[in-house]
Amino acid sequence: MKKFVGLVGTNSEQSTNRMLLQYMKHHFSGEADIEVVEIKDIPVFNKPEDKQIPEEVQVIADKIEAADGVIISTPEYDHAVPAALINALNWLSYGIYPFVDKPVMITGASYGTLGSSRAQAHLRQILDAPELKARIMPSSEFLLSHSLQAFDEDVNLKDQEQVDKLDGLFKDFLTFVAITNQMNHNHEQNKKDAANFSWEAN
Amino acid sequence: MKLVGIVGSNADKSYNRLLLQFIKRQFNQLFELDIVEITDVPLFNQSNDQTNSEPIQRIKNKILQADGVIIATPEHNHTIPAGLKSLLEWLSFNIHPLENKPVMIVGASYFSQGSSRAQLHLRQILDAPGVNAIVMPGNEFLLGNVKEAFDENENLKDQGTVDFLESCLKKFLRFIQVVSVLEEPKKAQPEPEDLYATGKIDTTVEGVDMYADDWLEQAAEKVNAVEGDTYVKLDRGLLTVDQLNMFLASMPLELTYADNNNQFLYYNRTMPAEEMLASRTPGQVGNPLAKCHPESKHNNVSWVIQQLRSGAMDVFRVNVPTHGPDKYVVHNYQAMHDKDGNYAGINEYILDLQPVIDWYLEQTGQKLVGDVDAVSSATKKGANEEVDAVSSATKKDTVDAVSSASIKG
Repeated sequence: MKKFVGLVGTNSEQSTNRMLLQYMKHHFSGEADIEVVEIKDIPVFNKPEDKQIPEEVQVIADKIEAADGVIISTPEYDHAVPAALINALNWLSYGIYPFVDKPVMITGASYGTLGSSRAQAHLRQILDAPELKARIMPSSEFLLSHSLQAFDEDVNLKDQEQVDKLDGLFKDFLTFVAITNQMNHNHEQNKKDAANFSWEAN
Repeated sequence: MKLVGIVGSNADKSYNRLLLQFIKRQFNQLFELDIVEITDVPLFNQSNDQTNSEPIQRIKNKILQADGVIIATPEHNHTIPAGLKSLLEWLSFNIHPLENKPVMIVGASYFSQGSSRAQLHLRQILDAPGVNAIVMPGNEFLLGNVKEAFDENENLKDQGTVDFLESCLKKFLRFIQVVSVLEEPKKAQPEPEDLYATGKIDTTVEGVDMYADDWLEQAAEKVNAVEGDTYVKLDRGLLTVDQLNMFLASMPLELTYADNNNQFLYYNRTMPAEEMLASRTPGQVGNPLAKCHPESKHNNVSWVIQQLRSGAMDVFRVNVPTHGPDKYVVHNYQAMHDKDGNYAGINEYILDLQPVIDWYLEQTGQKLVGDVDAVSSATKKGANEEVDAVSSATKKDTVDAVSSASIKG
């Protein structure tokens, strides 16, 4: 069975993105092993000269290295990805490169109508940066709008249409992971590019 | 023109910081730039509201008091760094100091891209409803290959780049004017001012009747105030209370101190009330401001304080023309701020500008001619108006005074 990391894209205590990942973990337990991982306790990224990675970050990096893929669920703050998630990704590409060629599925939940559409578009661009270089599942989008009303008391998605859509996308993701594993001809070069990326003062 | 420059990086070494420092030095004739660091801004967390923390409040106050903001952003992971995003999230959560604030984006990066993607993201972020800044379109200043861009004195080497930067900055200054036309006049805080000083701040002396003629004596006893030849350490200097009194009494101005709680605490008594440009009597010290002005003028007094407290104005000036044609008396209501930029009260200083102008003309051999002679005509025009500056500033006049005093700070 495939092992995935489900990265909660916020440090907030109340988060429907966390609920969505918990739902997926439970709902897809027959098809994959999803571990919900938090980014809550990571210190602010400040580009330390010694390139020392905080222990909390190294733990997450190791989990991502060991996983077959990553599911990131992001809220949207100010038309973009939250600082807390940018912060985690800054650290996770600073002298360590767990995301290089890693299959990634993006989901997002928002209280309003737009379901984090702009944040997801930004996240795709971010994950495409040479020092991250993830393999993002193309042409797919799971936007959970009005997320406060989306779950029942057992944290199940109420709307069957949403469930069907997520089922389809998750099956696609399993296929995408399999395909991506064959798209490894440039893996060493990608790793090298990531490592060569200079974080020198900018 | 007062601008704030936000260093978008919290790293020890940052070319974006160098760029802002260069802008500050190079263009100090065009504007005053206050460079703000985000190093100690906590990571945004909506479950742990730190809006009232010192770094957020400090940056908020600086932005509110500035005419415009320049943000210098690096690019990490094809977007703006977490630290900068964190600041913008705090500034769009429970407070919104960037609302309607003109913003210019610049960026430096190690590669040829010069933070192009981060700048585009930043535009979208600043456009979000919670932030609501007004970002100057076009005029993208991308400084690529920064390692080679600066000389050993940390100046930009390439003259073409400096010229382009200058043209962008000059356009930004005009953009600020354009935005000020778009906006309605800044609204003062909706709550009325507590002119009766019923509140309490850290320095309020409690348990003494503010209206008492001997408030000073009672309050001084209560707090064991020092006097006479006791030394007081100041920033920067050491004086006895006697020396301090002499010093303030010798000022060629009438100084009045009203605190953040609208309590009148001090004036530099230089002469009897009837000889002063604006009369004060010893018994008034300690009074709430409501007691210092007739009730019919309280709205105008409130309005002025609201402008100063909200940061809409740093200083409100008004000429009081009741002293005859030989004087040009100006009342200046200057906002005071603590070191973190929090409003701390009013320094009202009153002086007659006429001797200064006369001295200047005599020394330089110049003359006031034609329309330039605003001084005497203004004096004549208003000769019959009321005594108190604040009182005489009716709502309408006040607004005019504001717009004409748009040179602000």
